[in-house]
Amino acid sequence: MSSAEKRSDPSEKAAGPAFECRSVTVELLHKFSRKRIIEDISFLVRSGEFLTIVGPSGTGKTTLLRAMGGLTPTASGSVLVQGKQLDGPPDDVVIVFQDYSNALLQWRTVAANVAFGIERALDRREIEKRVHGALALVGLENNAEDYPWQLSGGMQQRVQIARALALRPAVMLMDEPFAALDAMTKASMQDELLRVRDRTGTSFVFITHDIEEAVYLGDRIAVLKGSPGRIEQIFEIGLPAPRDQLSTRQLPKFLEYRYAVHQAIGRGYA
Amino acid sequence: MHKNSFIARINWPGTAVFVFVGLAWEAAVRSGLLEYEYLPAPSAIGLGFGELASQGILAPDIAHTLISVAIGWTVAIVLGISLGFLLGLSPTARRYSLASIEVLRPMPGVAFAPVGLLLFGFSLKTEMVVTILPVLWPVLVNTIGGVTGVHQRLYDVGRTFRLGRKDTILRIILPAAMPPIVVGARISLGLALVLAVVAEMVGNPDGLGYGIVREQQALRPDLMFAYIVTVGFIGIALNAGMLALAEALFPSFRQLRGGQ
Amino acid sequence: MMYSRPWRQYFMLVVEALPSARGLLPLVALLVAWQLLQTGNSPYFPPPSDWWNGLMLLAKSGRLYPALSATTITLLLGLAVAVIIGTGVGLLIGVFPRFSRAVGPLLEFLRAIPPPAVVPVAILFMGYDERMKLTVVVLAAIWPILLNTSSAAERVHPLLLDVARSFRLSAVDRMRLIILPSVVPAVLLGIRVALPVAIVVTLLVEILTSIEGIGALMIGAQRNFQSPQVYGLLVLIGLFGLLVNNVFAVFEAILLRRWPPKIQSENF
Repeated sequence: MSSAEKRSDPSEKAAGPAFECRSVTVELLHKFSRKRIIEDISFLVRSGEFLTIVGPSGTGKTTLLRAMGGLTPTASGSVLVQGKQLDGPPDDVVIVFQDYSNALLQWRTVAANVAFGIERALDRREIEKRVHGALALVGLENNAEDYPWQLSGGMQQRVQIARALALRPAVMLMDEPFAALDAMTKASMQDELLRVRDRTGTSFVFITHDIEEAVYLGDRIAVLKGSPGRIEQIFEIGLPAPRDQLSTRQLPKFLEYRYAVHQAIGRGYA
Repeated sequence: MHKNSFIARINWPGTAVFVFVGLAWEAAVRSGLLEYEYLPAPSAIGLGFGELASQGILAPDIAHTLISVAIGWTVAIVLGISLGFLLGLSPTARRYSLASIEVLRPMPGVAFAPVGLLLFGFSLKTEMVVTILPVLWPVLVNTIGGVTGVHQRLYDVGRTFRLGRKDTILRIILPAAMPPIVVGARISLGLALVLAVVAEMVGNPDGLGYGIVREQQALRPDLMFAYIVTVGFIGIALNAGMLALAEALFPSFRQLRGGQ
Repeated sequence: MMYSRPWRQYFMLVVEALPSARGLLPLVALLVAWQLLQTGNSPYFPPPSDWWNGLMLLAKSGRLYPALSATTITLLLGLAVAVIIGTGVGLLIGVFPRFSRAVGPLLEFLRAIPPPAVVPVAILFMGYDERMKLTVVVLAAIWPILLNTSSAAERVHPLLLDVARSFRLSAVDRMRLIILPSVVPAVLLGIRVALPVAIVVTLLVEILTSIEGIGALMIGAQRNFQSPQVYGLLVLIGLFGLLVNNVFAVFEAILLRRWPPKIQSENF
């Protein structure tokens, strides 16, 4: 992998947090009344950090992500990307959706899909370079001319991730991206994601309802709870890197974190 | 709450646009804005209706077309379902006939009009020549599809209960194939109306189709449009009637409702 | 690589789509029986060999090819215009749901009127000429295309629209890169439904008005009691329809090769 694909050293970037939510509240129109989905959400995402957000369904995890991605406006509070307030979908932030099948352009080849975000902004050679680089990062170099519908679920999700990576975002927001995948694919995708983070220094905000996944992947875990959803607690995960599917998950510390997060979420959670 | 939802469900903008277009049309013609020799105002069309009805012309024409539709459709249903079952149940029969059906299917009904005229001159039989073949296809194809589409699981159930051939057909295949057959019958009905009208335009000077052409040649656009609107309403009525019938006879078939 | 030798694959697609040729037996048997049984000079049921002679006569007298090309050109031109207008308006309706709701009942009303019934209206308004014929074909073919396009445009998956917003696409880019490609299968389906309607209306106009075309030839032959020519032209129309449908099916298969097979099979 050439040095061109490696991100600039994270310490060179803006000193502040990559991402910040300050007292974010989001209300959505439900029938004819406004329903408060999430309330007073405040947290930081540091540069190069992997933050996972867990919570039971219905606490507004997806709404939070959409607000962070600029797709849903906030009722109050602000979202800042690298110090700048959000006004619609920001430049440096990309969302990876759970439903990969409907988030990709099924009529375009894999390569064309990956180029989707950058094709209007860059010249041809640069586009080709980035597409190739992104595909290499997710291990799909040999599938560039295939169509998404010819690929398995895991591979399609990797295409979506590659599409996001081609933009060289500062932050990647991921909405339960591996929820629809089988256990083995999920495990290998988790490791791949961590490898991508290590190579590119991108910050990740990863939503999941799988507590073990949250502990395995995260540098920090934010627990969302209640209706309207609020941040119940934020955990620092002090597990060693690089993580390993077998050994890390057997560490006593892993089990402690898992227990603690479980407790934080409380009853009524499967 | 009930009243609210009913009122809320009416498509107010849509109805408003509809009414507005009608009024605008009326105003434009009356004020001389739309001065087109052959464009009647909606009110003129309404009066045209009255004229046709009061002169006792409209009713017989409607009757003629409906009779034509009824005959053509009935023959198509009987032929289509019986042939469809035969072909549906026998792969051999299908192998030796599907290509012929595929070749005949694209034949436009109107092309049979000169043949019909040749054989039968201006008569109801000519209308039948035009109507029969195209109207046959939806029922036939849907019946074949319905019969061949019966899920293997249902056959397994039949064998478990040791049903004989006849019983299998009557108690499993027939009910299972009903939804697509009914849909095919409904499509055929609409088609029968269109073809009857077409046949009356070129093959048999009688009925609504002839009415349209006659008034066009007589330069009476108001009456012509009245006939056209009649055809439209009859089409809607036939379709709605068929849907209601299907729902009454087969209340459990949700596939029959909604969608065209 | 799946797409090497694409022409071979398209050919295979067509070959696989054709049902077994043995199925032509009933038709062939009918023609053969007809030929053998009609030894006399029946004016009503001339044998198929006479049909061929009748057609040859028409061809030699120089009237067949102009008529055939007139019908074909009207059909193709009419369809092309219908596609352009139908897709355009359909997209407008689909993309602006309030517009669609407002225009809905009006469209439903217009849709209930069968296209053939509009032919005399066109004749009255525009007289007996080629422009009228083209207009009617366009009016007849436009509905399935318009309706299919608008419903597909309305049904573009909301996630794709989210993706468009997330990548900050302009409205034009969103239409060009996402909505338009999304509706292509629906437009093709609309064309496939519109084809037979367009053919019927074209022939109807020609039969009613004797404007140049196969229909005009047919009705002319009938009026002159040239029954072999009538049957011959009928067969010709049948073959023509078959050809048009199959050419379009191949065209559709080629265009849809980028789409998931599920959509491909819906269109068959």
